Amino acid sequence: MALLEVTNLKVHFHTRNGVVKAVDGVSFNVEAGQTLGIVGESGSGKSVCCYSLLGLVPQPPGRIEAGTALFDGEDLLRCSRRRLRQLRGNEIAVIFQDPMTCLNPYLTIGEQLIEPLLYHRKTPRKEARQQAVALLDEVGIRQPERRFDSYPHELSGGMRQRVMIAMALIAEPRLIICDEPTTALDVTIQAQILKLIKDLQHKRQVAVIFISHDLAVVSEVADHVLVMQNGRVVEQGEVAELFSNPSEAYTRKLIASIPDGAKSAAPERRELQPHPLVSVSHLRTWFRDHSIGLFSPAAAKAQRHIKALDDVSLRIERHEILGVVGESGSGKSTLGRAILGLAPVTDGRIIYDGRDITNLSARAMKPLRRRMQMIFQDPYASLNPRMTIFETLAEPLLVHGLANRRTVAAQVLALMDDVGLVRTCIRKYPHEFSGGQRQRIAIGRAIATRPEFIVADEPVSALDVTIQAQILDLILDLVARHDLTMMFISHDLGVVRYIADRVLVLHRGQVVEEGDTGKVWAAPQAEYTRELLQAIPRLAHVQP
Amino acid sequence: MSTDAPHTGQLPDDAEQGTSLWADAWARLRKNRLALFGLGVIIFLCVVSLLTPWIAPYGYEQQNLALGATPPSWQHWFGTDIFGRDLLTRVMWGGRMSLMVGFVATGVALVIGVLWGTVAGYAGGRVDAVMMRLVDILYALPFMIFIILLMVVFGRNIILLFLAIGAVEWLTMARIVRGQVQSLRRQEFIEAAHSLGLSRWRIIRKHLIPNSLGPVIVYTTLTIPSVMLLEAFLSFLGLGVQPPESSWGLLINNGVETMEEYPWLLIFPGLALAITLFSLNFLGDGLRDALDPRSSKD
Repeated sequence: MALLEVTNLKVHFHTRNGVVKAVDGVSFNVEAGQTLGIVGESGSGKSVCCYSLLGLVPQPPGRIEAGTALFDGEDLLRCSRRRLRQLRGNEIAVIFQDPMTCLNPYLTIGEQLIEPLLYHRKTPRKEARQQAVALLDEVGIRQPERRFDSYPHELSGGMRQRVMIAMALIAEPRLIICDEPTTALDVTIQAQILKLIKDLQHKRQVAVIFISHDLAVVSEVADHVLVMQNGRVVEQGEVAELFSNPSEAYTRKLIASIPDGAKSAAPERRELQPHPLVSVSHLRTWFRDHSIGLFSPAAAKAQRHIKALDDVSLRIERHEILGVVGESGSGKSTLGRAILGLAPVTDGRIIYDGRDITNLSARAMKPLRRRMQMIFQDPYASLNPRMTIFETLAEPLLVHGLANRRTVAAQVLALMDDVGLVRTCIRKYPHEFSGGQRQRIAIGRAIATRPEFIVADEPVSALDVTIQAQILDLILDLVARHDLTMMFISHDLGVVRYIADRVLVLHRGQVVEEGDTGKVWAAPQAEYTRELLQAIPRLAHVQP
Repeated sequence: MSTDAPHTGQLPDDAEQGTSLWADAWARLRKNRLALFGLGVIIFLCVVSLLTPWIAPYGYEQQNLALGATPPSWQHWFGTDIFGRDLLTRVMWGGRMSLMVGFVATGVALVIGVLWGTVAGYAGGRVDAVMMRLVDILYALPFMIFIILLMVVFGRNIILLFLAIGAVEWLTMARIVRGQVQSLRRQEFIEAAHSLGLSRWRIIRKHLIPNSLGPVIVYTTLTIPSVMLLEAFLSFLGLGVQPPESSWGLLINNGVETMEEYPWLLIFPGLALAITLFSLNFLGDGLRDALDPRSSKD
């Protein structure tokens, strides 16, 4: 008998605008010592499905309409709240996506770690501490004795996720639900965490439900995979079978959407011109470290600056797409912003089209703003929620005098056509759109002034895979049609390989490698690049 | 309004005005009955106040000592006070004063507070530090001493009343707005506005202020009644309104003293203030929702 047997689970949300069938008749089994991967795009119901088992779906508006979920013979959907509380943390544990928001910033990690022991098991404090320290050691935290008394903000993202895993394991549960546990982490850290989860699972023989939007990640950890769409199971099967031979169209579409392979038709048209569009030499951006005060040790004072960018030089030729790759904290976003004059420059020079634009005043910069634009990562934050699409797109046109009140409407409509938005949406507000549509709006705003240079900062990271593929193709199309030059910043190497002509690898504010995308992938020169490339999760079972 | 016009390829007529946040807000507000009711009551009170010199049944200082305090009757709908003055007339004249103080002082506080807070929050750094320390210093100034100083220097004056009240109320407003703006400033859409080359003033006007309106409106609706009560307190101290002129605060103050013998002297001015307060709150809530495009699904 399986450890968890879910049959015909239905969870509906009763909202003012009608019933949303978040989970609509889902059945699956999880065996002890096995991993079930649940894959789906946002809104597919993959998280709701698991949270409803634990009574973590807010009711109302949520309601469990039908189904059974037998956990070791006990129906989770019909348990009392009290019993569910006992099960949570004790028998079933959850690892959440964002390790920062899931830890209480006011308690030491040790205190949070032993809480379930003190509460569920009534373990004496001293013993609990010993167990916790041993566990911290097991999840790969160095100096566990010392770290026990650290506060969450003193740990890096990867370390915090290790702590979260330790928290999940401390009560020795039989089932662990991982909800996108590595999505907020860098690739190299992600690889470590995935390995850790796999190792611990084999050692302890627990069952794992691994929820992710990333097929490659799931293919690496799961034994059995469930593909969900719109609250229904599209397809399920053994991981090797499912990925090598998907029977459903949706699964095939998901697999096809993964940016895979190099940029098609590498444009050989770019002949090296004597003057690149952008040239950056010895750029430094140092931020003052405010955590270092008057009384800090002298050693700390000697390096009182955070070196976001440290001696970065680069050239961007006309009509090329330069990919900038790096992990969080590598300075890649700062680099893009510094070029556009949105981040300070401590030292070095930025030449744009033959003109020195380093630390130019806002006034002097304004005529140039029309020619250089930016696309931001989060389409939810980069649009003013109180402006309609019309206002958002009309603003750059009016400010730069590219349209007058009579012609602006026609120009906005043309822009909307250009980025693939339906004309009838013109009076809507950002919150009425999906992530992909919002990113189209943001792209429309960036190309409104007909710029020649665009910095795109992780423009597809917040999007689902199928949407990501559409937006990438839109960007490629616009670059070709409008003769754009682009700096494409991303942590996702697959995406960069798909879109960039040349690539620049940043590590701790320094350029570690630069070259044509194809060459860097085929023969990476720097050690760090090799590490990065190895860490990319791949669809393990698909023949190339 | 053209909100019901079919949204097909054709642009709505008012789209070119660039004021659609306000146009849409009005369209949404019109669907909120409670808010409309509040708006109606406030307009009614304002109209009555404006017309008081012509429509009041008696003179506000017209005494009838022989009559004394009488309960409501057909001659005197709200009754009369101990000097035999018609209470309805005095409530109407009092409303003039109270509403004027409430709206003008709050308006002044709103304009100064929002601008000050936005500029401080947006500029950040040293500018912010200096501006907010000034606010702190004004906060720290004891209100009573401040008012006594004003009285000593300028004597009793109705303009001083606005000044004194405005001077305290904008401080809190500035702090609220600054907090809002500080968190907004880090959002990507503000950075996007920078990269579009918008002027700072336009960013403040079009992007920052509209997005910090929610708490501002709620606080404003709370400020108006508190300003009215503050006026009563100041009048009690001798700054501001003096009998035989009246204001709601003053009437309530006097009413409290004779509450046991002549309850109507407290009830009617109290009711007037309460109704104003309710209406303002309904309107404020409605406005806050109306100005947030995310709040309604239609």
